[in-house]
Amino acid sequence: MGVTCVSQMPVAEGKSVQQTVELLTRKLEMLGAEKQGTFCVDCETYHTAASTLGSQGQAGKLMYVMHNSEYPLSCFALFENGPCLIADTNFDVLMVKLKGFFQSAKASKIETRGTRYQYCDFLVKVGTVTMGPSARGISVEVEYGPCVVASDCWSLLLEFLQNFLGSHTPGAPTVFGNRHDAVYGPADTMVQYMELFNKIRKQQQVPVAGIR
Amino acid sequence: MEAPPVTMMPVTGGTINMMEYLLQGSVLDHSLESLIHRLRGLCDNMEPETFLDHEMVFLLKGQQASPFVLRGRRSMDRTGAPWHLRYLGQPEMGDKNRHALVRNCVDIATSENLTDFLMEMGFRMDHEFVAKGHLFRKGIMKIMVYKIFRILVPGNTDSIEALSLSYLVELSVVAPAGQDMVSDDMRNFAEQLKPLVHLEKIDPKRLM
Repeated sequence: MGVTCVSQMPVAEGKSVQQTVELLTRKLEMLGAEKQGTFCVDCETYHTAASTLGSQGQAGKLMYVMHNSEYPLSCFALFENGPCLIADTNFDVLMVKLKGFFQSAKASKIETRGTRYQYCDFLVKVGTVTMGPSARGISVEVEYGPCVVASDCWSLLLEFLQNFLGSHTPGAPTVFGNRHDAVYGPADTMVQYMELFNKIRKQQQVPVAGIR
Repeated sequence: MEAPPVTMMPVTGGTINMMEYLLQGSVLDHSLESLIHRLRGLCDNMEPETFLDHEMVFLLKGQQASPFVLRGRRSMDRTGAPWHLRYLGQPEMGDKNRHALVRNCVDIATSENLTDFLMEMGFRMDHEFVAKGHLFRKGIMKIMVYKIFRILVPGNTDSIEALSLSYLVELSVVAPAGQDMVSDDMRNFAEQLKPLVHLEKIDPKRLM
């Protein structure tokens, strides 16, 4: 996959989540982007069961198991500031077997769903982030397909983002970090989504009037 | 209320329960050639396939009496092949007439950072070994004839020593739960390998 930047679009003043998403998608369509189906990225949180903690003497860690519709046969499992494992979908079956050791925090399943737009070499995905029945925010993912090295195309990506997101343009994602010459991969995108979901989880819930 | 045993439930929660049917035996080194020769004749026609794998067994200890076991396997001679993570359940007890050892199995292909990830999850490596041998196929049956090597220095797969003067022979099938006729086919195939090797159902618990 090409270098990707995942960011959050704040909900516009006086508008609902859905209306802000529509504003963004209309802007994309005016630019000339082509709608190409839908996408979904979801994330489930697991924490080490109390029974395993005693023998290890360490604080329980949170493990995130994520899926990305762009890679339908894969499953991504990661720890914050830790390794990201890319596995096939049987990993979900394994998590069921590990029920006694890792408990799923059911209420914290979070996902983003929306439309994919192709604009020349850019693939833009605008999604509504939901936790259960409530919409909690907007995610924007922009991928520049031809390049896999972050330092080589960040300025181009930034320019495109400014054109499209205006003042809400994000800074360079932390995954780019110090390894500017490293090859970018899908795991880096999932880390960005994990950070975005964690940020949204901590945010105040969008006021009731906005959800409709 | 207890859930019915996995062997009877082909589908649980949207995923198919896969079972591994296994028969094992062994041959001394000097009989290897004749066994390979017969297998080449009986099995599917294909280029002889050899493998060199490094397997690590990880345990996760919890409050439960028995730790959770996971096996991570990587190919040492095929670069770029994914790592193979495997969970094997307890052997299904039951039908004495069933000819093969049956246990629930979950196979997962993973990226190369599997060891780091399992450690982060809390698993600790219990033991590791190198397996070197030959692979044959007949339909859905897989026949492996391999030698196990002990790793002398942990983590260093260059200094290895053979565990015995024999080769382990395994006949296995991975099929959805409930397909017991698979073990009949396996037994019929095993008959054709006699007297070179006697493949039987070996209960791992009885060895401990």
